[in-house]
Amino acid sequence: MSHPRPVLGAPAAARIPQRHDQRLPNGMRTTFVHAGAVPMASVRLVLRTGSADVPAGRAWLDRFVHDYLREGTEQRDAVTFADAMAALGGRLSVDADEHTTVLRTDVLAEHAPEAIALLAEVARHPRFPESETERLRADLHRGLDLALAQPQYVTFAAFRAALYPGHPYGRVIPDPSAFDGFDAPGARAFWASQTGAQRALLLVGGMFDEDAAAQAWRAGFDDWAPGSPPAEHRPAPAQVRSVHVVDRPGAEQSTVYIGRTVPDPAHPDYVALEVTNLLLGGSFHSRITMNIREAKGYTYSPHGVVSSRPHDAYWVEIADVTTAVTGAALGEVCAEVERLRGEAPDGEELLGIQNYACGAFLLRQATPGGILDHLEFLDLHGLDDRYSAAYVDRVRAVTPAEVRRIAGQYLGTDAMTIAIAGDRVAIDSQLAAFGLPIT
Amino acid sequence: MTVGGQTFGLQFPVRRHRLANGLRVVLSPDRSAPTICVAVYYHVGMRIEPPGRTGFAHLFEHLMFQGSESMAKMEIARLVQENGGNLNGSTRYDYTNYFEALPAHTLDLALWMEADRMRGPVITQAELDNQRDVVKNEIRVNVLNRPYGSFPWIDMQAAAFTNWHNSHNGYGDMADLDAASLEDVQAFFRTYYSPANAVLVVVGDFEETGALDLARRYFEDIPAAPPPAAPDITEPRQEEERRASHLDMLANRPALAVSYHTPERGSREFYALGLLDQVLLQGEDSLLHQELVSRRGFAGGVDGGINFLGHMHNAQTPLLWTAELFHDATVSAEAILEAFDAVIERVRTEPLSSAVLDRALVKARAAIYGTVNDTYYPGFGRADLLASFELFEGDAAQVNTIEPRFAAIAPDLVMETAREFLRTSNRTVLTVQPGAEQGAVE
Repeated sequence: MSHPRPVLGAPAAARIPQRHDQRLPNGMRTTFVHAGAVPMASVRLVLRTGSADVPAGRAWLDRFVHDYLREGTEQRDAVTFADAMAALGGRLSVDADEHTTVLRTDVLAEHAPEAIALLAEVARHPRFPESETERLRADLHRGLDLALAQPQYVTFAAFRAALYPGHPYGRVIPDPSAFDGFDAPGARAFWASQTGAQRALLLVGGMFDEDAAAQAWRAGFDDWAPGSPPAEHRPAPAQVRSVHVVDRPGAEQSTVYIGRTVPDPAHPDYVALEVTNLLLGGSFHSRITMNIREAKGYTYSPHGVVSSRPHDAYWVEIADVTTAVTGAALGEVCAEVERLRGEAPDGEELLGIQNYACGAFLLRQATPGGILDHLEFLDLHGLDDRYSAAYVDRVRAVTPAEVRRIAGQYLGTDAMTIAIAGDRVAIDSQLAAFGLPIT
Repeated sequence: MTVGGQTFGLQFPVRRHRLANGLRVVLSPDRSAPTICVAVYYHVGMRIEPPGRTGFAHLFEHLMFQGSESMAKMEIARLVQENGGNLNGSTRYDYTNYFEALPAHTLDLALWMEADRMRGPVITQAELDNQRDVVKNEIRVNVLNRPYGSFPWIDMQAAAFTNWHNSHNGYGDMADLDAASLEDVQAFFRTYYSPANAVLVVVGDFEETGALDLARRYFEDIPAAPPPAAPDITEPRQEEERRASHLDMLANRPALAVSYHTPERGSREFYALGLLDQVLLQGEDSLLHQELVSRRGFAGGVDGGINFLGHMHNAQTPLLWTAELFHDATVSAEAILEAFDAVIERVRTEPLSSAVLDRALVKARAAIYGTVNDTYYPGFGRADLLASFELFEGDAAQVNTIEPRFAAIAPDLVMETAREFLRTSNRTVLTVQPGAEQGAVE
């Protein structure tokens, strides 16, 4: 026989680990955070440059340069560099998006200073050996082909192209003929133009000796030139309903993106928008997931996302749905959005979502990786630890009426961009209900 | 602790208990953050499910979110969320797990929920039908509608293993999924989900005595039942190389994977293979990366490791050690294999230098630390290791011997292990023939 359901006490306040910020005269910054119980240090060199800085017609130049960074430094060749990184327990990763390029590694706790020195070396003195150019170009061609075969990638690209016409955010798929013009001097020039102390932030989280880490930071970066300030790339997103289909004959599923631009993280409505997304599609028990997965069985992993860049963000629902119910699934997504625009959620439903948002924030602050992700987010959007300190209170202050207002003001489905990769023969007639020409 | 002058960093506190109904309870406090992770592992997975019931272990995992005596369909997900946590479940070869990471004050509720779930699913035909559709969509998105969706894990298992338990597709045949009935669900539950076939792990910020009292309160009166007999999952020694090829209509570039049967879990040779994996395959300093990627330019990277659904520490053996890559049609699989073989032959015939072996040991340690440092479910990586060692080696505390076990491996043993297990006759070569044109989609 089952036991009565326990009643819980109040949650403890989220414990935000203390961060230690420092700045060098050349503009280079660092933040150290001690966290976790695993003898590892996460080291991230966050550079304010990304795919948006690549000139039109040369998409994936950034990716080419990032691959090239692995080919050694002025001080050591590729093999010696990889050996040195591995001896710390680490490996070089390069993560990049539109505005950020992160050179990162996780190493054994005692090796944090050496890891900082190696990241400084690769960021400041990459080798770009001519001998590797052709191989790295071939890698781009192969990588592009593999990506184009993935329905999620081509749908993302179609969604972006429709949402950001003529803007770098919309240029996802590169022109492979341009790859032949990528070379070592070009890679060196691009990297030199995009990096420098005033664009750099070093994050170290986990377990490590802070004095030794700070010393390695100063030694590695103290004499780095400031470089040029990062460029701004404000988009002028599309604000009208449009439907775009990438034909995949015979596909068993349609990959669907449906969304539109919304306020960015620096906007006062952003936290309420996050809460709205969690209620609508951004959590396992959200309305859209409960509808198209748990009630209808149309899909396995639908999810609502707020995707953000500085001064820009969009909300999107993403799902891979059975081909025969493509139109029905889109209809249910729109119906859930419009229901929330018409009717405020009841207080109990909202309270559950607020608790989830607060708990998820607490969980993020529990591990080095989560903490550093949060610090990157703050830095990208020009926010500081006042945002973190106030976050839980801001979530708690959201009211049912506010959620309805947010949905009403920002999520009208009549101006949503829809991108689908699927079997046109099977889905065009299903999409006719949306009453728009399909491109 | 210190072994041979080297200090080892990872020592988890481990307290083990067994309740009257046979449930094993493992507690491992971690006060570094105010969170907990509760995980329940059942010793049934994709290769333990019975013949004629392919995909049932996985379908059943989905059904365990559809309601129990005191919780409605998906109420467990709502309860975790509205108390600030993340939850999930997964089906692997040897276990099915259910876990949630939550703020620390929710321990009482988390244990109550998992105990209620352990009492059994209370579900309707509609809920079974719904989750069958969800599972079919999971198979479509991960396999049928995805290029390389069965590469290498499903196709390699079929080619490299001879025992049905290991070789069959754990996602299941659609026909077997269609045939599943509510009676099958209850029978599967009775057979595989008894307390004696499960391990409860709690990691995080809690008082041990209080946690054990709660575990007793909620779990100990769940009726005992004998655990199921373990199926025979052994494989005969492989004596001849096997080859398999798969035509993938969604793929536009060829792919190649090579798998070798591993030594037995827990043996010194198994840890020696773990070091060989680091030397040969993990990271850009690895020998295969340097030869196949940097020197020859066959691929942008070479991936792989031990256990398609995890790592060397969270599954039973038999397992496969696999290297895989995507290449260009202008280069034949045979040309790549020739270069691959030259690298393998080196570690079979020449002892590794102490510098290379030291580096492998550091990388192996970092890999373990990485698995226990996961971000989305704080504490889950530790819970997974503890549950795996409790299930597969009979003692969760053996987690604390991983590092000394690696450190005890001598260079000679590494070479002997390579000689026996990285034999050509112990391997299977799988190729993917692309059925789509390059750059066809735009």
